[in-house]
Amino acid sequence: MTRVLGRIAAYLVLVALGVVGIAPFLYLLVLSFKRRIEILTQVPPALTFDWATIERTYVEVLFRQGMLGFVGNSVIVVGAATVLALVIGTPAAYAFSRIRFRGDESLASSILSMRFMPPIAVAIPLFLMVKAIGLQDTYLGLILPYTAFALPLVVWIMIGFFDEIPREIDDAALVDGCTRVGVLLRVILPIARPGLVTAALFGAIFIWNEFLVALYVIDSRSHQTISLGAATLVSAQRPIDWNIAAAVGVVTVIPILIFSLLVQRYIVRGLTAGAVK
Amino acid sequence: MTAAAPAPGWSRLDRPGIAAWLLLGPCLLYLAAFAIYPLFYSLRLSFTDLSAASGTGRWVGLKNYHDLMFDPLFWTAAGNSAVMVTVSVALQIVLGTALAMFFNLHLRGSWIVRGILVLPMLITPIVVGVMWRALLNPDWGLVNWLIAGVGLEPPNWLGSIEMAMKTLILVDTWQWTPFVFIIVFARLQALPQDVFEAAQVDGAGRLVIFRHITLPLLMPAILFAAVFRAVDAFRSFDLIYGLSYGGPARSTTTLSFFSFQNGFQFQNYGYAAAVAYTMLLVLIVGTTVLLRYAPLRPGHAR
Repeated sequence: MTRVLGRIAAYLVLVALGVVGIAPFLYLLVLSFKRRIEILTQVPPALTFDWATIERTYVEVLFRQGMLGFVGNSVIVVGAATVLALVIGTPAAYAFSRIRFRGDESLASSILSMRFMPPIAVAIPLFLMVKAIGLQDTYLGLILPYTAFALPLVVWIMIGFFDEIPREIDDAALVDGCTRVGVLLRVILPIARPGLVTAALFGAIFIWNEFLVALYVIDSRSHQTISLGAATLVSAQRPIDWNIAAAVGVVTVIPILIFSLLVQRYIVRGLTAGAVK
Repeated sequence: MTAAAPAPGWSRLDRPGIAAWLLLGPCLLYLAAFAIYPLFYSLRLSFTDLSAASGTGRWVGLKNYHDLMFDPLFWTAAGNSAVMVTVSVALQIVLGTALAMFFNLHLRGSWIVRGILVLPMLITPIVVGVMWRALLNPDWGLVNWLIAGVGLEPPNWLGSIEMAMKTLILVDTWQWTPFVFIIVFARLQALPQDVFEAAQVDGAGRLVIFRHITLPLLMPAILFAAVFRAVDAFRSFDLIYGLSYGGPARSTTTLSFFSFQNGFQFQNYGYAAAVAYTMLLVLIVGTTVLLRYAPLRPGHAR
């Protein structure tokens, strides 16, 4: 009997955890479906919706406030920076995994420690640098620093994946007359594809949410990324229309929701990058 | 594989010098340009009086650091950072480990809840802040309605100086406890089962098993998660921007936010850089100490 009761209690806890996790998102969704006045008067908001209101709010947010454009900007900037970080970071990770040289461990560690750098410590210099090379308020002005943000993460994740591929595979290819670079491109990379996916997804999420550097670098509304756009629309220092704010939140969450479905399989690898064995 | 013994000659065969630098070069150059150089730039900046107002960038030596030491606002921010990091990390470690033990029961359908719990930490922190401002709204927020519904007096979550920091920690804990959970849970799943079986056969109670077997085995993962969380909580800035904007009355202004205000709002770049560098020093000292206990580097399979 106590076993059954314990079982029931455990399932109640499980459901409660699920609710605590998901309820804030659902609440945001419901708020975004309401009229401004309804949010203030209906507590809690009734679960009756009218299509015209929803359409008006989302048209306002997506087109007039430009959220759709912000999503597009983010896709361009994050996509380019992620690809660049993979192209630069993967060979380096391969070298760290395979080639021994003096100081390799401490060099790798110092690259990895850059993941811990407070953005606040580099935002101003990066902004002044970007401004000096005339890239203020351009995509490239964000892509360049963002690549540097994603790079340590990519290197970190890829080292973990390369370490798992037996060296004998490299050695066999080397004996067959392949060069190091040839081994990486033709033999190792195809095996390490899950690693590339993980590195790309986590690199992308890391910079998708970045906001401080964008705040400095981007001036014109038409170049804002999604996190910067969301921040300017709902920043805490001024009163806001809550239905609009909620819709902005929903639009920001949706791409990440899709991301998170993609990363489910890799989440532990991405978060720990093979560091916990 | 028959070649189990390490092949000592392979690296010399490959002339590692050139190959290594070819593979490493782009990455090192890139980081030198866009990570190391900005850090030195920042350091130099912290010795100047550069601001949007004066704009000269005159060298003032240690003046900014000297001013910091006598700036009560700096010490308030440092105190807030200390409270936020220690309390939220401690909370998240305890809750995250408890969650890992709970999910170790492997209830049917628990994978769905695990999937849900991953979501908060992927969400843009600014949006997390806004979401919780709605939930905790004193006039119409869902949380206060629930609290009033069971007959309690809802606290003034973000409006009172005493409460705002607690609220910030609460929201940070909602967002990041899953991080600790995921890492500790992964470790838990990888533990050899025979130890637990042996202990059970010996008649050890559950609490004894947890205290003397499970917890020590989980310690590396817990420490690892703690280091990550401590650093990220210390760097945290966007959540505060979205949730409380450092207020009310600076009660949630951490060092990150203080540096941001000086740099972006007041455009005292030199002073902001000095704050950031002080943070960096704390980070370097802090992580060096912590790293002695929690190895972060993925180990080479030698």
